Amino acid sequence: MKREQVGPGGPAWHVDEAMSRRYADGSLPEPDAWSLEKHVEACGRCASAVSAAVRATGTAGPLLEDVRGALLRTVAEEAPGEGAGATERKRGAGARRSPLRPSAGRRGVAVRPASASLPGRLARTVWAAGPALRGAWGVALLVVCAGAVALAYGAGFLAARSVFFALAPVLPLAGVALSYGPYADPMYEISAAAPSGGLRLLLIRTTAVLGVSLPLLTAVGALLPAPPGVPGAAAWLLPGLALTVGTLALGSCTGCRTAGALVAAGWAFAVLLPAAAHAPNGAPTPAVLAEQLGRCVSGSAAQSGWAAAALCCAGLLALRRRAFDFAPDHGPGSYLNRLENS
Amino acid sequence: MKRFRPLRADRGYDAALLRGIARGDQAALAAFYDRHAGWLHARLARRCADAETVREVLQDTFVTVWRSAGSYRSGEAGGWLWVIAARRLVDAQRAQARAERVVHEPPAAVPSAEDSALGGLEYGDVGTALDRLSPELREVLRATVIDGLTTREAAQLLGIPEGTVKTRAMRARRELRAVLGQLGNAATTPWGGLA
Repeated sequence: MKREQVGPGGPAWHVDEAMSRRYADGSLPEPDAWSLEKHVEACGRCASAVSAAVRATGTAGPLLEDVRGALLRTVAEEAPGEGAGATERKRGAGARRSPLRPSAGRRGVAVRPASASLPGRLARTVWAAGPALRGAWGVALLVVCAGAVALAYGAGFLAARSVFFALAPVLPLAGVALSYGPYADPMYEISAAAPSGGLRLLLIRTTAVLGVSLPLLTAVGALLPAPPGVPGAAAWLLPGLALTVGTLALGSCTGCRTAGALVAAGWAFAVLLPAAAHAPNGAPTPAVLAEQLGRCVSGSAAQSGWAAAALCCAGLLALRRRAFDFAPDHGPGSYLNRLENS
Repeated sequence: MKRFRPLRADRGYDAALLRGIARGDQAALAAFYDRHAGWLHARLARRCADAETVREVLQDTFVTVWRSAGSYRSGEAGGWLWVIAARRLVDAQRAQARAERVVHEPPAAVPSAEDSALGGLEYGDVGTALDRLSPELREVLRATVIDGLTTREAAQLLGIPEGTVKTRAMRARRELRAVLGQLGNAATTPWGGLA
């Protein structure tokens, strides 16, 4: 083996003939054999030289010829006129099922799972994308929307729209909080360890939450009767977005559930507390609530403020994107540790 | 430091063969087999004394190559091939040992290979140090570092409990470090990351 060093960029060494021969007959000492093995993984020329040396030995040569014949027969039987890659894709992990018997694998080719129809796959994707959608949150969303419409039209409750708008930005937060984390997702440990876990999965689920809640809440908001002074149906969209992105950014430090609770509490303080303070007897009247809501979301200044906040939080989230790869509460006393210790 | 850089043309050749195999070209598979089966056989035979198992693993590996060449993206074709073969070998050993062996508790996640260690392999000092290790320790080091197996897989391959793999790996590292320290070069080799 030549061990002289060539400058960076050139190969430091290649396997020479004597070394191949000694490796082939098994007399090469271990450390040199390791070097050869790692080198051969990367260098095709040496790989083929070492293979030739092994073929030349008395014991391995006939065996290699034998296996070659068996392999080519297997392959010829297996895929007449079909690309091997396509076979593998359809069979999925089937090849792994029978490590020792290729014949069992060959039988597996005939039993291809029927590929699911498009609606079926879509339904599965939606089901997987939103743990929040199919749980308590989905029900809560429907109850709020139905309740708002019922109060406004059935009971003639004038403040329905104001109360609805005070609640609307917080609803997606609850969905996000219930979308990702050890407490919300029974598959959390597995999905967090998967390559597509972490922020990517959280964003997909957040999209599912927003995709359902934004159109629904906006439509219901537009349906409710609008007394003067209450902001328009679309005014809550930017605050809602900013609060959601803020939850995600905060969630990178504290976990989504805590972050959702904190942001929702912040919103409640910003809207309800001043409204309660202005009210004469402590209970905010619809007019005061509407006025306070208007201060928070109406007008170009407030809206651009929310937009800037959303951008700011999105930037923070991008900076902290790796944080979701590790469970935020994976420390002493965390859920995972409790599981491990129980 | 660069260890080696294989010729671009050679790597391209293997990649082209694998593309051909993915399309279902049997001649490409035969050519790929001729290039790689020899070293793969020798490498498997160094790790498994049973010739029949080696033969089965070899054939099964290339059948898998035929079926899953489409999943090869780029990079070292030989390394890709070895990953398949090593897993097959572990599976085969496990299938053989299943009857006799007790089930162990689930493994802890353990990092398997250390590139930094390989960086030093072409230096004489490291070779000397490895020579002085006892065969059991060297076997564990080979399975975890060179072959890229996890602790669990190494345990299955070598037929020893996982705890033993871990302690032997630790002892091997300690002894290597001690020997390298004696050789007076521990600070100057690229082996410094060994912990």
